[in-house]
Amino acid sequence: MTQFEAQIEGQPVEAVSDVRFELDDPATGIGRLVRGASAIPVIVEGTGSDRVVTIRGRRIAVTVRSWRERILAEAERAAASHSGPFAVTATLPGLIVGVAATVGDEVDEGESLVTIEAMKMQNEVRAPRAGRVIEVSVEPGQTVATGAALLRLE
Amino acid sequence: MRTDTRRPPFERLLIANRGEIAVRVIRACRELGISPVAVHSDADVGALHVRLADASQRIGPPSPAESYLSIEAILDAARRSGAEAIHPGYGFLSENADFARAVTDAGLTFVGPPAETLAALGNKLAARRGAESAGVPIVPGTTVAVDDDHAEVSAVGYPLMLKAAAGGGGRGMRRVDTPDSLEEALVAARREAVSAFGDGTVYAERLLAPARHVEVQLLGDRHGRLAVLGERDCSIQRRHQKLVEETPSPAVDASTRAALFDSARRVAGTVDFHNAATVEFLLDAERQHYFLEMNTRLQVEHGVTEMAIGIDIVAWQIRVAAGDELPDDMLEPAPRGHAIEVRLYAEDPYADFQPSAGHLTAWRLPDGPGVRVDAGVEADTVLRSEYDPLLAKLMVHAEDRAAAVDRLRRALDETLIGGVQTDAGFLRWLVDRPQFISGAYDTGFIGEHWPTGQRLGSEEASLAAAAAIAMRSMEPTSRGASRPTAAEGSAWGRSGRIEARRG
Repeated sequence: MTQFEAQIEGQPVEAVSDVRFELDDPATGIGRLVRGASAIPVIVEGTGSDRVVTIRGRRIAVTVRSWRERILAEAERAAASHSGPFAVTATLPGLIVGVAATVGDEVDEGESLVTIEAMKMQNEVRAPRAGRVIEVSVEPGQTVATGAALLRLE
Repeated sequence: MRTDTRRPPFERLLIANRGEIAVRVIRACRELGISPVAVHSDADVGALHVRLADASQRIGPPSPAESYLSIEAILDAARRSGAEAIHPGYGFLSENADFARAVTDAGLTFVGPPAETLAALGNKLAARRGAESAGVPIVPGTTVAVDDDHAEVSAVGYPLMLKAAAGGGGRGMRRVDTPDSLEEALVAARREAVSAFGDGTVYAERLLAPARHVEVQLLGDRHGRLAVLGERDCSIQRRHQKLVEETPSPAVDASTRAALFDSARRVAGTVDFHNAATVEFLLDAERQHYFLEMNTRLQVEHGVTEMAIGIDIVAWQIRVAAGDELPDDMLEPAPRGHAIEVRLYAEDPYADFQPSAGHLTAWRLPDGPGVRVDAGVEADTVLRSEYDPLLAKLMVHAEDRAAAVDRLRRALDETLIGGVQTDAGFLRWLVDRPQFISGAYDTGFIGEHWPTGQRLGSEEASLAAAAAIAMRSMEPTSRGASRPTAAEGSAWGRSGRIEARRG
C-alpha cells in the first residue's frame, strides 16, 4: 500500500493521526472527519496529487504525493526555474477596461499594466517584477477568466 | 382601490432580473396567484429562475448592458409575454427613472416608487439637500459637486469619502486620508463613476468612524399610508458593501429608534412616495444618526425584516402597486425575536474578497427550525463573472439575539459548498468572535480584524492533510495519474471508511 505525504503552500504538513475519514457522497466529495466523539464536515475535491479540502468554509489546497512522486516533481521544478519570459495573468475574472502597457515598454515592479473591472470595482494588475513587455494579449472590452494570460514580460 | 383583494392583483407579471431575487419574486407571484414570467440572457438559458417561472423571454447576450440593463429588450419581453406589471428586483434597472417611466408609458404597472421619485432620490447630492431641508441630520460634507479646484473639500476635513452622486450600494466610493492624495482619488472616483453610472459627478462626506450602518425599511401604499417596518443593522461590510444584516439593531435603543423612524418619515415626505424603499443612516458612537441615502427599491436584506415582523414585503410591493391599501396593524409593527442574514458570495475572503468564478460542485444548504435560504443557484451551476457573485442569502430567526447567533452558527456548520471559494469561511469565523456575539461591532470591523484574512491554523492544516491523504488512499492506485472523479465513484463507495494514514 502506497504511503502518502501532504504539502500545503509548499510546506510539508503532518496529518492528524487520530481521525477517521468517512466519505458520504462520492459524487461531490462530501464527508466527515470523525475524531473522538465529534465529527467535522469536509469536502474533498480533486484528482491525483492535487486535492482541495474545504473545512469550515475554507478551501485548502493539499498536495498528496508518494515519496517517489515528490522527488520527481522537485527535480522537474529545479530544471525549469531558470529565468525567462513569463506571463502576467488575471488574478480575478472580469472586464478589461484599460491596458496601460504596450509592447516594448520597460516596466518597474508594481507598475499598473491592466485594469480589470469586476462588480463595478476597478482593479489594477501590476507587474510582479521589472521587465520589458514583449506581448499584450488583451484589449479593453474583453472579458477574462481568472488565470487568463494578459501579457508577457521578459 | 381594488375592491376584491382576494383576486390576484395581476394576471401575469414579468421579473426584470435574475438570480436569487428573481426566484424570490417568482415565489411571491405564485402565492398571490399571479403567473410569473422570467427573462434571461444567453448565459442564463437553463438557470433556476427561468425554470421556476411559467415562461421566460430571451433578452440578449450575456453582457448585462445588452440584456438585463436594456430597457428596450425588457419592454419587448413584457409585450411578447402579455405581462401587466414589471418587478425590477434590486440592482440592474430597479432604480432607473427612465425605465420606470417607459414601463408606465407602455401602459404597464411598475412595481416600485414613481419615476420622478427614483430620479429625485437617485441623485444622492439632491437627496442630501432634500433631507437637510426636511430637518434630517446629514453626514457632514459638501452639498454641491466637487469641481476641479475642489476648494469646498478642504472644509470637510480628513479622512473623507468621495462618493458618486449617481451611485449607491457602495459603488464609486473612494476613501481619502490626506489632502495630497485627493487629486488621484478624485480622478479614480470620477472614472469609476462614469464607467458604472455614466455620470462622473462626485461629492465629499467626512468619514464617520467608528460608526454603524443602520437603515429603516419603508412601505407605502398609493393612498398616502406609510408603514415603518423597523430597522436593520448592516455594519459588517467589505468594500462598503454589506455581508451581514440583522434586525433589531443591537446598537439601537427605544429613543434612537424613534428618532431614526422620524427621520425616515421626513425623508420619504420630501418626495411622492409609494411602494418599498429603505432610508440609510450612519449611527455614531453617541447614537446620533446621519442620513446617507434613500434606496427606492427592494433591498437584498429585506428577508430579515420579513422574518422578524412576519410579513411578505415582496407580496405587499405587488399589492400596493395594484392599489391595495396597507392595513392599520402594518403601519408600525413590533418585531418578534431577532433575525440575522449572512450573504453567501462567490468571493475569496482570503484574497481581499475578490470574486471567484467556477463550477459549483457540492451545494448543501442548511434547513430546519428558524432557517430560511433564498438561493439563485444550485449544484452544478457555472458561475459567470458578468453577474453579481451573490449565491444565496442564509437567514435565521430566533427568540432573541443570542439564540439567533447560535442558530446561525449551526446553520453555517450545515453549509457545504464545493468548487468555488465563498465567504462562508469568513462568516463561520465571524460567528465565534466576541465582538459579533456581543453585538459591539462597527463598519470598520473587517478592515480591523480581517485585514488580509486569517492565516491557516496548524490544526486545520493537519485535518485537511488527513482528509486529502485518506481520500487518495481510498482510490485505486493510479500513481499520480489524473482521473475523472465520477468514474471512481463506485470504488469509493465500496471502500466505505478507512483510517487516515500518515505519509
